[in-house]
Amino acid sequence: MVTYVIRRLIQLVIVLIGVTVITFVIMFAIPGDPAQQLAGKNATPERIATIRTQLGLDQPIYIQYYRFVGRLVRGDLGESYQLQKPVLQMIVENAPNTIQLAVAAVLIELLGIPLGIYSALRQFTFWDTALTTTALIIWGIPVFVLGVFMQWLFGLKLQEWTGYNVFPLTGAGDNVLGVIPASWSSLATLILPAVTLGLIEVAYISYMQRASMLEVIRADYIRTARAKGVSEGMVVRKHAFKNAVIPVMTIAGIDLGALMGGAILTETVFNRPGIGLMIYQAIGARDLPVVAGGVLFATLVYVFANLFVDLGYAWVDPRIRLEG
Amino acid sequence: MSFDDPRAPGRSAHDPLDDGGNVIVSSGAVDARDAAEVAGERLERRHEEQAGDGKRPLTLWSDTWRRLKRNHLALVGLGIITVFMIVGMIQVVAWVTPKGYLAPYPPNATNYDLSPEGRGSPPSWSHPFGTDYVGRDILSRTLVATRISLLVGVIAVAIALIIGLVLGPISGYYGGWVDSVIMRLADIFFAFPYILFVLLIMVVLGPGFQNVFIAIGILGWATYARLNRGSVLSVKAMEYVEAARAQGASDLRVIFRHVLPNTMAPIYVAIAMGIGGAIVTEAALSYLGIGIQPPDASWGKMISDYLSYFWAGSWWMLTFPSIALTVTVFGFISFGNGLRDATDPKLKE
Repeated sequence: MVTYVIRRLIQLVIVLIGVTVITFVIMFAIPGDPAQQLAGKNATPERIATIRTQLGLDQPIYIQYYRFVGRLVRGDLGESYQLQKPVLQMIVENAPNTIQLAVAAVLIELLGIPLGIYSALRQFTFWDTALTTTALIIWGIPVFVLGVFMQWLFGLKLQEWTGYNVFPLTGAGDNVLGVIPASWSSLATLILPAVTLGLIEVAYISYMQRASMLEVIRADYIRTARAKGVSEGMVVRKHAFKNAVIPVMTIAGIDLGALMGGAILTETVFNRPGIGLMIYQAIGARDLPVVAGGVLFATLVYVFANLFVDLGYAWVDPRIRLEG
Repeated sequence: MSFDDPRAPGRSAHDPLDDGGNVIVSSGAVDARDAAEVAGERLERRHEEQAGDGKRPLTLWSDTWRRLKRNHLALVGLGIITVFMIVGMIQVVAWVTPKGYLAPYPPNATNYDLSPEGRGSPPSWSHPFGTDYVGRDILSRTLVATRISLLVGVIAVAIALIIGLVLGPISGYYGGWVDSVIMRLADIFFAFPYILFVLLIMVVLGPGFQNVFIAIGILGWATYARLNRGSVLSVKAMEYVEAARAQGASDLRVIFRHVLPNTMAPIYVAIAMGIGGAIVTEAALSYLGIGIQPPDASWGKMISDYLSYFWAGSWWMLTFPSIALTVTVFGFISFGNGLRDATDPKLKE
């Protein structure tokens, strides 16, 4: 296990270096002249030259990169062109809403596990076909289409039918400790976006869980257990369940990071404050530090979620530790 | 054995995965059946092989097709893909003709059935999908937008595939430090949440048609490279590869002539899923305003353009492109999944 952890940590360091190099290249090497950007369109050449020296843009590229990483480590992600505000501050303000959304979506997507197992145990029956078909259809719906549909059905129509505004269409509520909804109305703003984001993952997870369960119940050790006269319930609960669920749990864990990507679209559709909406608004203004900062934040969440999932996986399944 | 057994409701009598109590009887019976079936198939195959002319032996593809045929969802997916491809190719071809499109109305022409309040008009006989807020025909726009989706799907995946299928086999075949470098590079590309990475590249490159291809294409290679490397590793040790090498075939020839063709099954699955993914990604970029730019019609762009009119009561503008997008993506996902199940030896019955 120790060797595995060390190997995995070395990989993490390489990935982090790679991610910072790519972000650096994207932010500083490609998009024209950042000094010009900062100084504005009508700046004099002298002013641009001063800014260039201030930013260290006249230094060799590896020194610039070294300084860039140094700033990152100190939490300095630069300043928004648009709002003249430190990007880190914007991320700190917006992150809790996004984390709340992603965690809620992960909790919802876990529903896919029992659905997938149910499907697999009743392969080729009506309910299996119905569940699998529904899962594939939902899986194919783009999150921004599903979001509008949910808003229409549960926001607008439900209000028309009941005369009561159950789910607000947009916005976010106050939270306790950053991420726990402080009130019912705050929870109500979370439900539709979380279900939208979670439902697509439920579909995906249930499909994967079905496949994983089908593979496991065909395995020799299940046949052996049955041959020994173990009851079917026992076979499913004791022998098949764990082996079929662990691979899917890792997918669910990795999804926490992938949901950071889905969150940008969900937050845009629901006009819900968070990292996604922050990035979306920055795109319109071509506010590169904010976009890059937001992407970097989401990437770090993703990378560390992956790390913990991998370590957890290796801990419960010794075979993983030995693989190359 | 009873169909009403509460521990195994809905199971059919010949299901090999029957419950514990009956396992010996049933599995015995099943094994016999299976054996008969297998033997029958073998006979059939031998027969086919002997028949020689016209009939071909059971290859990987005929076996896959045999299993795929039983998966109705996958067949629906294949049907959707076929229709989408045909419509898309017609639109691509029509694009270069002097007229520039093949649809009932010019996709960017305005003032058809424009209501006085400027809200377009609902579906009618002359405009089956209705018209939009400047009186453009939604059906024509939805049809013409197919070309963007098709081109993005095919070109972006082709770019990713070419990079992936050069780096993957090299990585798996040579191993050592070459392998380490390529795979660590893949790790780094995997570390970014995909849609956000594409978005970042798009912000840098600026919106537009070619940039969508480039962004989606260059970021997708790692999937194919990693998949293919795994297959190459397992094929590399096979005797026929050794034989080819013993005959003095060059590394390149061994990789691309002998190893690669035998490692393609997972790649075909990834291509189907990848095209679906590229189509959604383009739609998402255009929805966010940094993909395809007006006046070109794209499903994602249409959805975001018509959003406010949807809330104002004009449901038709948004609904039809949404359905087109969802159905297309469903087609690729369901065919891709069916293909995966059909080529997965572990799921063989």
